[in-house]
Amino acid sequence: MEFTDLLYKIFIKDGGWLTILNGLRVTVEISALSLIFGTMFGSLLCFFRVGKFKPLSVAAQVYISIVRGSPVLMLLMLLFYGVFARTGMSPVLVAVITFSMHTAAHVAELLRSSLMALDRGQVEAARTLGFSKWQAFKLVTLPQLARIAKPVYQSTVVNLIQWTSVVGYVTITDLTRVINNIASRTMQPLITITGGMLIYLALSYLIYALFHLTERRQQSHERH
Amino acid sequence: MSVIEVRGLKKSFGSLDVLRGVDLIVEAGERIAIIGGSGCGKSVFLRCLELLETPNAGQIFIAGEELTAPNVDIDRIRRNMGMVWQKFNLFTHMNVMENLTVAPMKLLGMTQDAAREKAMNLLAQVGLTSKADAYPEFLSGGQQQRIAICRSLMMNPKVILFDEPTSALDPTMVGEVLAVIRMLAKQDLTMLIVTHEMNFAREVATRILFFADGVIYEQGTPAEIFDAPKLPKTVAFIHKLKYFDFEITERAFDLPKMQGGIQTFAEKYGFNARRTNRLQLCCEELIYEMLDNACAGDDVKISLDVAYSEVDGVVEIKFTCAGKAYNPLNKNFDEIDEDNLGAMILHNLSKNYSHEYEGGVNRISFSLA
Repeated sequence: MEFTDLLYKIFIKDGGWLTILNGLRVTVEISALSLIFGTMFGSLLCFFRVGKFKPLSVAAQVYISIVRGSPVLMLLMLLFYGVFARTGMSPVLVAVITFSMHTAAHVAELLRSSLMALDRGQVEAARTLGFSKWQAFKLVTLPQLARIAKPVYQSTVVNLIQWTSVVGYVTITDLTRVINNIASRTMQPLITITGGMLIYLALSYLIYALFHLTERRQQSHERH
Repeated sequence: MSVIEVRGLKKSFGSLDVLRGVDLIVEAGERIAIIGGSGCGKSVFLRCLELLETPNAGQIFIAGEELTAPNVDIDRIRRNMGMVWQKFNLFTHMNVMENLTVAPMKLLGMTQDAAREKAMNLLAQVGLTSKADAYPEFLSGGQQQRIAICRSLMMNPKVILFDEPTSALDPTMVGEVLAVIRMLAKQDLTMLIVTHEMNFAREVATRILFFADGVIYEQGTPAEIFDAPKLPKTVAFIHKLKYFDFEITERAFDLPKMQGGIQTFAEKYGFNARRTNRLQLCCEELIYEMLDNACAGDDVKISLDVAYSEVDGVVEIKFTCAGKAYNPLNKNFDEIDEDNLGAMILHNLSKNYSHEYEGGVNRISFSLA
């Protein structure tokens, strides 16, 4: 059989590309939602972690070390088959909760290390000019934090997308599961899975490109 | 009304008492230089004035308003004070113009045009108009510090606090920053400057505060403090005195240890070999003279204090010895006397010699010729 025929059979015939697109949509959906909620929850977690209130700080620390120290698939199965088993919650929702929790732990640590790299002197300079604590945070801490955290945040996003490939375990038909299905149906794993990897690769590069774009804009804004 | 009034300010970190009760009144137009050894609390004092450190006790009034009162609007009172930092602390994500204009625009409600105009005026005064759009990372330390001074001036402060403004600078850049501060001094701006630049302090300040032991140990006009300091720690600081001391409690004392100690001391402060040798000789001869003539039996109590002034290079030796009254130089040195060779050497190597006997203790002091 010709190579192009093979490609046609795998990706086009019987609407193969449509199911792939559907899987991609699910992957992107879970990743995007988890990123949004994870970042919000992670910021809160970091706030608790570095805060002066000891119990919250300890709780945040424990949470972060447990979640970061165990495979995300374990957490996913724990929630799906254990915690939410009887609630009839949709698998996608469970996946979003799982990956939000996971991302939050990573974001919290990433923010904390960025906070430590921050120059306290500039905040003090802002305070002595007469800015309030909150104003100084907005004026100095936030923009500088964003700048320090960005490169690591970018790889957190890319990692998140790849980690979502395990959601097939809880009956979700994401990109990986679709590729797997097509591979077994067509008995052409080599080409199909390579194709799937290329899609993930494209997704990652899309993220890098987006971050790069904001960086370029920031730089040109700074230099002129 | 005084610009700053401080009453009984105390600050400690853990068990370390850094400030043990500082009282100070600063009137408008005063330029105060704060000097003192490292760790004397002078920088902490400045930070307390801005309430960056919370004092353990005491009150601070800025232009009549108590900064240390509960529920006071700290941010508003802080606008009366400018602070210039050792490490500049410019906002690194903003260019020079933004650094200067952000506070007056957001806090004083100044329009952007007015703020920019004011900023350009200040930049012109410090010679940096060409850097208005530059980012701090592309500026030299001296330029950053001049900008930082402008930034605090943008708020029209009643007083500016300088925390070692030239300590983090390359020696080649110290001059340009001091020049800017001198210029402000001519405009009768009230300022407090923590500094290690003694000549600058003398020239610019109207009053010098010498900090030691967590208090204002001595204060006065530059002439009083630099030319005629009264209290011992001030004297030691101003003359950059370095000390060596040695105690002797028995006849068979460790002479090599003492000579080694003097050698190390002398090398540390760059004495030449001849001078080192003379110092050792003086000390040794003096000790043996006293051991032989003043001390009775095994009852020996001798202490030797050597003070070297890095400023004028004078080495002073203070010597006390308990026992009988004995003055080794109370002799006629016109004839060479083989028996008194030690006293002879001492006579030749000493200047401004004095001997006192009081309460069973001989006190001898002289400086090395």
